[in-house]
Amino acid sequence: MHDSKVILEFKGVTIRSVSSQVCGLSCIDLSLHRGEIALIDLEEGREHTPLAALAQGLLSPDQGYVFFDGEDWAQMGATRQSQNRGRTRRVFEHYGWISNLDVMENLCLSECYHSGRDLKDVQQEACGLAQRFGIDPIPDARPTRVHNMMLRKLEWVRAFVGTPDLIILERPFFGAPKADCQKLIEVVGEATQRGVSVLWCSDDVRTKECRELANARRFRMDGEKIAAA
Amino acid sequence: MSFLASTGKGAIDLYNRLCRLASLGTAVVSLALRPSSWALPTRVILARQIVFTGYDAIGFVAVVALLAGISVVVQAQVWMGRLGQSELLGPLLVTVIIREVGPLLVNFIVIGRSATAMAAELAGMKVRREVDVLDAQGLDPMVFLVMPRAIAMSLSVFGLAILFGVFALGSGYLFGAFLGTGPGDPRVFVLSVVGVVTPADVFNVLAKTLLPGLLTGVIAANEGLSVEGVATDIPQAVTKTVVRANLAVLVVMVIVSVLTYI
Repeated sequence: MHDSKVILEFKGVTIRSVSSQVCGLSCIDLSLHRGEIALIDLEEGREHTPLAALAQGLLSPDQGYVFFDGEDWAQMGATRQSQNRGRTRRVFEHYGWISNLDVMENLCLSECYHSGRDLKDVQQEACGLAQRFGIDPIPDARPTRVHNMMLRKLEWVRAFVGTPDLIILERPFFGAPKADCQKLIEVVGEATQRGVSVLWCSDDVRTKECRELANARRFRMDGEKIAAA
Repeated sequence: MSFLASTGKGAIDLYNRLCRLASLGTAVVSLALRPSSWALPTRVILARQIVFTGYDAIGFVAVVALLAGISVVVQAQVWMGRLGQSELLGPLLVTVIIREVGPLLVNFIVIGRSATAMAAELAGMKVRREVDVLDAQGLDPMVFLVMPRAIAMSLSVFGLAILFGVFALGSGYLFGAFLGTGPGDPRVFVLSVVGVVTPADVFNVLAKTLLPGLLTGVIAANEGLSVEGVATDIPQAVTKTVVRANLAVLVVMVIVSVLTYI
């Protein structure tokens, strides 16, 4: 029977390398409860993992299962998959923007699409979050016109807009100003108190030494395996 | 490969491509009929595509229509007058301008102006992995990218074809009046055209604008999203869109015209 407190579960997941840049995974067992942070220390040279794509059901494992809120991604129909992905947010490792929409439209896209909330309400929420990360105002431009450092922080904003159940952070400090990293950790802490789960893939020493993340369940990549640290 | 084998392979490829287009077209229409497909971001995409494909093209379509009207309508007036068949001017103009030339030229204009841009835009999104970003946010690319664009293209072609007819007939009448070859009284001209419009003409205009417009959108989306992560494939996707959409438009036009006379 499904434990309703578990939002994400990898059961015996094995996947071969899907490209020359992304490493494979072998026999991964990992579960993430509501309001919990799973911090995965990535191995140097193997920073690009398919974990986020598996967690969102964008990749199917060669062996094993990935459950989201008790449902196997592989058994869901396309509509159900879309709905469930709408309950997740992600800070992408690669370029994570839609170029022909402006930044604000990008920030509100998922929330407006899935929740039907009033646009102004979502925009206000995004502005409030942006201010917390030191962005005021949000650039009125397309993402390609915005500095990479700013874009990285704007990805943080997007990750917390609305009421997601799962936030996936793929190396979120990469390209971000050091001074603002602490702010992200604070916002993550507040989100987990509201019951949001966070899957945090990091190769950054700041997450290892961070006292605010002391309660996070820590895992370590070891080759194709992930072991409790 | 033997001649027979290559012919067979070509036929199978064509059959598969047609099946894919048919299924995409059906999916677009079925998604468009579901109210749940029309979330705010999808409506915004629809509106923007109508502005780009329809509204922004009005100027160019008007110029083409004015020129077509001058060359076709005036000649029709002159020759019908010489043959003593002036009463056939209305049916002739409806058949030539409204049913055939208008939809055909508008479809070609939309393919050249918008379908190419759409294919390049979607191919660029595929190359930059933006389609994956949409997918990761739970936005179905079929609902968010393909459906509103194809529907917008269909509606735009219809709207532009109507405008084309009005501009072409108007310019033809004015130029005919200037040369002294027209019927003179504008009411007589308008009644000679409007009075002969039949349900078959309405069916023709609808079938030759909405359907090819939808097909053009689906072809552009299909070619754009078929690019596999290499920027150098984008021009090929655009070229394929132009060739296949033009062919599809001509095939639909011929089928509809033939069906009208059966």
